[in-house]
Amino acid sequence: MSGDDLIETLLGIAPDSPLAALRLRRPEARRHAQGAYRELLMPAEPGAISHADRAALALRTALREGDAALAAHYRGLLLAAGGEEAAMLAEDLSGAPMEGRLAALLRYADLVASRPAEVTQGTIDALSALGLTARDIVAVTQLVAFVPYQVRVMAGLRAMQGERAA
Amino acid sequence: MSRFTMEEVGWVPRIPPVEAETATPAQLAALEACPPAQRRSTYFLTLANDAASLGERGALFNAVMYAPRGLPRADREFSTAVVSMANGCVYCTSVHARRFAELSKQPEAMRRVLEDGPAAETDPRRRAIADISERLTLTPGAVTAADLAPLRALGMEDLEVLDLLHSVAMFANANRLMQALGESEPPAG
Repeated sequence: MSGDDLIETLLGIAPDSPLAALRLRRPEARRHAQGAYRELLMPAEPGAISHADRAALALRTALREGDAALAAHYRGLLLAAGGEEAAMLAEDLSGAPMEGRLAALLRYADLVASRPAEVTQGTIDALSALGLTARDIVAVTQLVAFVPYQVRVMAGLRAMQGERAA
Repeated sequence: MSRFTMEEVGWVPRIPPVEAETATPAQLAALEACPPAQRRSTYFLTLANDAASLGERGALFNAVMYAPRGLPRADREFSTAVVSMANGCVYCTSVHARRFAELSKQPEAMRRVLEDGPAAETDPRRRAIADISERLTLTPGAVTAADLAPLRALGMEDLEVLDLLHSVAMFANANRLMQALGESEPPAG
């Protein structure tokens, strides 16, 4: 079944295809990638980082990482959570000044996604000053670091799809 | 001299790790899903602040790095060392360079890559692994079937290729987590 797997759905990997069968040879990797997605985007107890915040951070990171299909999926999640304004902010990669709490979270996402070596103690302390707990900070960082995992698995599987099409 | 090393590198978290003695049942359960050798490390105890994501992510890491058959473990470790270099994560590089050296019994080959970069690799199989690892790390959107051809030419079958993709992707994740949540401390001397 690909309906229960985000990566297979986005890539159009049919349940009866050789790539679906290949992925089932690594059932734990498949299941826990989906589980991580679920726990990072739609946790039962989201703490201070709402489901809309999470979708906005994932959208931003997918855009930064250049995966249009994944970005479109997260845009859909964000809009479903009522985040029209958040989507405008998350999709603004112009570098124009952004104010407010979500803007600060998006700037952190940019740093972790693109220049993680530049994160400092001051970066983390600024998140605490916004009211984020240690758990919230780990959740945001896990989320922003997980999207690059998805992007590379999808890029690799697209190349394998390309091999089969050739 | 390169900043990458096989020596033990320290890692100091920027938020307080969970203490094993006072961890909640959910945090302990999440730690149980992580690789046994590392589940009491400062890094995993820091991630345990968010039990929900740690449980799934730890289990994913375990599956990607240790699932039996498929790509040999030494190749997975080599790939993740190369990815960690490309992402500038000195700590992750040191850990996985050591594991590769232990598994392959070829510390000199690893040392050469650490010093001079993956372009210095002369073994055809490792060179092909290094090339796709760097490319998928730095420009995932540009990867095509042609980038897999060198692996296929070496006889790699589908499961090995999938394992390699998973390893590279896992360290896009691990390097960002490690660098954001803490600071690496170079070995003394």
